[in-house]
Amino acid sequence: MEGRSRVNEKITAAILLAFSLLYFFKGLNLEVGVPKNPGPGFIPVIIGILLVSCAGFYMVRVFRKADLEGKGKRTSEGEKKNYAAILGITACAILFPLVLETLKFLMTTFVVSFFMFLVLKPKKRAFALFLAAGMSVSSFLIFSRLLGVALPMGFLEAFFFHLGG
Amino acid sequence: MWEIGQGLLGGFATALTPLYLYYALVGAILGTITGVLPGLGPLGAMAILLSFTLTMDATGAMILFAGIYYGAMYGGSTTSILLNIPGEAASVVTCIDGYQMAQRGRGGAALAVSAVGSFMAGTISIIGLMFAALFLADVALRFGPAEFFAIGVCGLILLVRLTGGSLLQSLIMILVGIALATVGVDFLSGIERFTFGSVELSQGIDFLPVAMGIFGIAEVLTTVEQKEFQQKVKKVRLRELLPNQREWKRSMPAALRGSILGFFIGLIPGPSPVIATFVSYVSEKRLSKTPEEFGNGAIEAVAGPEAANNSAVGGAYVPLFALGIPFTPAMAMVLGVLMIHGLTPGPNLIKDKPDLFWTVIASMYIGNFMLIVLNLPLINLFVRILQVPKHILMPVIVLICIIGVYSVNASQLDLFMLAVFGFVGYFLRRVGFQAAPLILAMVIGPMIETSLRQALNISGGSLAGVTFRPICLTLFILASFTFVIPLAVKLFKKTRRRKPEDPGKDRKTGMME
Repeated sequence: MEGRSRVNEKITAAILLAFSLLYFFKGLNLEVGVPKNPGPGFIPVIIGILLVSCAGFYMVRVFRKADLEGKGKRTSEGEKKNYAAILGITACAILFPLVLETLKFLMTTFVVSFFMFLVLKPKKRAFALFLAAGMSVSSFLIFSRLLGVALPMGFLEAFFFHLGG
Repeated sequence: MWEIGQGLLGGFATALTPLYLYYALVGAILGTITGVLPGLGPLGAMAILLSFTLTMDATGAMILFAGIYYGAMYGGSTTSILLNIPGEAASVVTCIDGYQMAQRGRGGAALAVSAVGSFMAGTISIIGLMFAALFLADVALRFGPAEFFAIGVCGLILLVRLTGGSLLQSLIMILVGIALATVGVDFLSGIERFTFGSVELSQGIDFLPVAMGIFGIAEVLTTVEQKEFQQKVKKVRLRELLPNQREWKRSMPAALRGSILGFFIGLIPGPSPVIATFVSYVSEKRLSKTPEEFGNGAIEAVAGPEAANNSAVGGAYVPLFALGIPFTPAMAMVLGVLMIHGLTPGPNLIKDKPDLFWTVIASMYIGNFMLIVLNLPLINLFVRILQVPKHILMPVIVLICIIGVYSVNASQLDLFMLAVFGFVGYFLRRVGFQAAPLILAMVIGPMIETSLRQALNISGGSLAGVTFRPICLTLFILASFTFVIPLAVKLFKKTRRRKPEDPGKDRKTGMME
């Protein structure tokens, strides 16, 4: 079985090559022009060629390294990583723009921060709830009222915005 | 000279107004906090705060960012010396001897020497910045598109060589950065590129969500992947902060050397403050009469590198102010500040906006003074920040990033970009890719493209006409040295290793004649 870092390298190499090929072929659709009058595709094609070559070379290197190390060899991974936290926080960052227009700022911030606190400290649910509520209200007051950032407003936001005159 | 004095006086008059003093103070405090916190470096702080500078004027924003950059260098040394935790990369070297000094009860002296050395370095580098930026900006006014193309390309070449890690990986990151910068409407022809029909993408990929994702969110993800542990904080008494006469005598020349060395290293593309600390450490060890003390608590090993990293910050501002080209990721953030305030960075900036230039320079002096006055008495308070639990701090940082990105364009696409680049940044770090070349290439990329296309137009399509201009050729030759010299050294070492075997040895059989 291969080590996780080796698998990660292979995934990265594959994604980079796919991105490079997509960029190169999309670049070919643009007008390249001539050296005297370079078109909008001039630089993208040059960068595309270089990118495909480098990404291809990187892929070969990663796969050759894996072969040389032997398939049965497991690379050391060190201490266990908190993957739940990594995925949870990434999911929260993706979730935020998805629900922002529907739930508006306060509810979205409350839900997202509650999940983030929960992901990092699963046992402290009440504490997470309390902290999320505090964080959503205080961040709204700081950013919207103090710093003048335009945030999506619903009735809750309007209430807090006009609180205290 | 008279002009410089007049400009500086005018700068002080503006920088000493309450609002700008407030920005300098906030920047210094925020910088110190980010320097203290492991993981969140000045880059992360700048990325997070970039969007909030919209409510300030350009000068205020520049003052804030200069304070953050300097403050982070100060703050990083505190945790390195007291806890053996480098708050940011430029403080790694300080850990070696600084922590040893703290173990021997001389932590206070190490902190004081590092603060005084940093102040000295800050002052020297600001003087250097003043003269070098003015001179270079004057020269740069005579540059054409070919020269700017050469500077951009050479900057990226040097960056690839000096960033560290794999050459191929750095090159890929630079190419990806330039590729991302080409998304959107090509402003020379007005044709859309790589937009896939999206109206939002036609405006291009904004630098802000990418930078905040790659430095802010990725930093959070890297921090939360490790187990949480609480630091035991040692108290430092005020009277312990005073170094003895022998320590002063040994440390001040080292700080002076570090300051000069750091400023010149700061002019080079790449993570200059980090490189400066290593170069200073090595040179101090070579110059020392007691090199055996290095690694066991030599005060020169704290003073030199600490001065060098602060001085490199001033040096890094030179290419930005004079040429409008950022050579370090932190300077890319400062460039971002200028751009979001509608200012065009370049050699004309100092001429067109002398107030901004001189006020920022003056505020750097003030910021340095504030840092030395604030940091020494408040060391215990700053160190206590390390005790804020990670599970509270990290969600707060994520939320600040999200609101920061949203506040600029109120764009959902930007928020998706933030999340995607956050994860991509984290993943790339895990497989050994550096994010800095990508960000710098994204900033310098459009300038390289425009300059090359304009230069080719002017030269009638002749590449020789672009590359064989005196300045361009000199720059390309200098940049090629970064590849030739390591190769030559490698070959020299190889031949030297072979030489002892040669005499009297039959090459084919390996037997003695």
